[in-house]
Amino acid sequence: MTGISLSISDLEVTGQGGRRILSVPRLEVPAGTAVAVRGPSGAGKSTLLYALAGIIAPSRGCITWGDTDIAGLDDSGRAAFRRGTVGFIFQEHLLFEELSALGNAGVTALYAPRRDRRRIRDSAEGLLTRFGLGKSAARRSDTFSGGERQRIAVVRALAGDAPVILADEPTASLDRANADALADDLMRLARDDGRTLVAVSHDPSLHDRADRVIDVRDGQLELPEAQNA
Amino acid sequence: MRRRQFLTLAPALIAAPVVLRAQDDTLKLRELYEGRDFSPLARDLEGTTIDVDGYMAPPLQADSSFFVLTKIPMSVCPFCETEAEWPDDIVAIYTRRKFDTVPFNRKIVVTGALALGSYRDPDTGFLSMVRLENARLRFG
Amino acid sequence: MPDPIADLLARLPLWMENTVILLGALLPVLVIGALVLRGFAIWPLLSALLRRQVWVSVVFTMLIAVSIGLGVGLIAQERGLRQGTARAADKFELVIAAPGSEITAMLAAVYLQPSAIPLIDGPTYAQVAAHPNADLVAPLAFGDSYENAPVVGSTPAFVDYLSEGLAEGRVFATETEAIAGARTPLAVGDSFTPQHGQGNEAEGAHGGFEYQVVGRMPLTGSPWDRAYIVPAESVWMVHGLANGHAPGWDGTVGGPFDPDYFPGTPAALVKADSLGGAYVMQAQFNTDRTMALFPGTVLSRLHALMGDIRQVMSILAIVTQVLVTVGVLAGLMMLTRLLARRLALLRALGAPRRFNFALTWSYAVTLIVLGAGLGLALGVLLTRAISGVITDRTDILVTASLGWSELHLVGAFVSLTALLALIPAWLTMTRPVVRDLRG
Repeated sequence: MTGISLSISDLEVTGQGGRRILSVPRLEVPAGTAVAVRGPSGAGKSTLLYALAGIIAPSRGCITWGDTDIAGLDDSGRAAFRRGTVGFIFQEHLLFEELSALGNAGVTALYAPRRDRRRIRDSAEGLLTRFGLGKSAARRSDTFSGGERQRIAVVRALAGDAPVILADEPTASLDRANADALADDLMRLARDDGRTLVAVSHDPSLHDRADRVIDVRDGQLELPEAQNA
Repeated sequence: MRRRQFLTLAPALIAAPVVLRAQDDTLKLRELYEGRDFSPLARDLEGTTIDVDGYMAPPLQADSSFFVLTKIPMSVCPFCETEAEWPDDIVAIYTRRKFDTVPFNRKIVVTGALALGSYRDPDTGFLSMVRLENARLRFG
Repeated sequence: MPDPIADLLARLPLWMENTVILLGALLPVLVIGALVLRGFAIWPLLSALLRRQVWVSVVFTMLIAVSIGLGVGLIAQERGLRQGTARAADKFELVIAAPGSEITAMLAAVYLQPSAIPLIDGPTYAQVAAHPNADLVAPLAFGDSYENAPVVGSTPAFVDYLSEGLAEGRVFATETEAIAGARTPLAVGDSFTPQHGQGNEAEGAHGGFEYQVVGRMPLTGSPWDRAYIVPAESVWMVHGLANGHAPGWDGTVGGPFDPDYFPGTPAALVKADSLGGAYVMQAQFNTDRTMALFPGTVLSRLHALMGDIRQVMSILAIVTQVLVTVGVLAGLMMLTRLLARRLALLRALGAPRRFNFALTWSYAVTLIVLGAGLGLALGVLLTRAISGVITDRTDILVTASLGWSELHLVGAFVSLTALLALIPAWLTMTRPVVRDLRG
């Protein structure tokens, strides 16, 4: 698998009452790059991430992943795009407590095309083993520690072999040691497979490991001249 | 339906008066008999599903699927004659499902498969010559 | 139902028609299910949902089960009562009594309900007994009792006819012998003294007169199981009346009776030689002095009345079911708010809208189907309990069974509510993903 490139132009996201939340005139991310997004709370980081995933529809502009401008897709088209292309990691892992670790890691198989289900489950199983959770894959997910649960959430994002990984504060709920370990794993897994990673985070350990850091302030990206070339 | 119409028309070629009832599908009880014998029409219709109208004689057993269809109401009226000759031209009805009793003076139309020949009911011992089996009934 | 379809169904065997109707009733839910669930593996998340909301699920399921159980019980109970009362009256083809209420006469003669009804006299009885169409005529001389159980005077021929062969012993041959019903406490060889009247109106023992039980009847499923049958002669005799026979009688109990020495009987049972004979006798003995009734006909009039009442109550039961279901679905709508975050999570992960729709709908339908199934069982249990009480109190054997009508009702209920469940399912699709996701 290889990642795909991201190209944003003239992007604008408005909230309720037409208030502008985010505005990105231009951003290019080559395939396989690991990007960290940082900035104060409420600056629009999560909005950027949700827009990149197609969960939020922009009011203007283009978000082009590979050859697909997802801003031009309707709701179900964007959902289909997420299914096929994006693995999303949430701030608070958001697992289904009643399902096992494997059940959660492979949850996307439940609505995937029948031919892909086996592959997703196998991949989830393999990744859990790689994260050291292989032996307890059948345990209910609410019996795991916070760090383990966030790893399960990471496996869920990766199991579908998505070329793009989007992460919203993936280490926020973890202690230092766990946060570092997760940041390592995330970066390694993204790089090993050549995926494109965009992670919103306050965590310097993620910033240090990223290929590139983007600052967001008041709904605007602050891009160093060198990087914006 | 088609078949029934055809079969009612076929004897009509032989017995002209029968043509009169080709319009309405419902048979009268007397059309099945000729004296004490079956009418040619009855013989032709044997085995087919037909509609016959008449009156339900008060059933002797509740919650059953058997009753007797008579051409005139089986009266229990004190002003009617009591010598009560049991009529010959009756049809034994075996219903598809258990039926609700209909007042003896209410006209009903019974739809069922016509069966001829003597048959003794194992439960009531009733000997019938003409029967409608698998029958359903509605108000006439 | 349109005639062509009814005609088509009438050609099938009954069980097949019933199956077709049931499948027809279930068709909507099957079609919706197939369309909604197509291509999804819903079960792991559905079971997770059920486990997460286990108490809510149990309460909703029980609500549906109770409302279905009431409807099912009502239908099954009515059918059981119909069958039981009809079976108990089977042997009583034609009853002749003095003019009066047909229902009272039937209740007294067939179901042995104590009632004061006038007597028919000797000449009239003789006329009935001598009728060419009469196969069996027997007096039913009720009025006496023993420990609240009726003691009825009749003939050996009647005992043979009613019991179709005794379970034990022999038929009475002398005036001091008696036959016991299957559910009486007395055994062959026991003796008892009859009392005049029955229940609270019993007026004390008939001094010194004793019957000895010489035979027991098999179970008939009717109030006669709790009764004692004695020679009619004895009943007359203990009341100080003539014994039905001219002087010089050899002591053999049973007919024929001498009209001049016949003290009267409140009712006579007639078994005619043929169905036609029964109608002839019924017509001939509906006079100013006698009333001839077919208990079956009277009973089916009562059944029709019962059916009308059942229909009214069925409407109430259906209203209850609909109300409960609407309540449950309203509850589900609130529940989907509780589930909103998980549903939003699925959407964010890329699940199609239809997946959430399918998940919510199948959750509702699972509760509905479980509730309906439990309701069927509950209805049968309810009917069984009520039938037991009825059998105990009336001795009319009422049995509970599951019939097609109940299955059809439940099938239609499941389909209808599965359709209604599309509403909360649809509402889940319109929820804002981002807001729900942030919780």
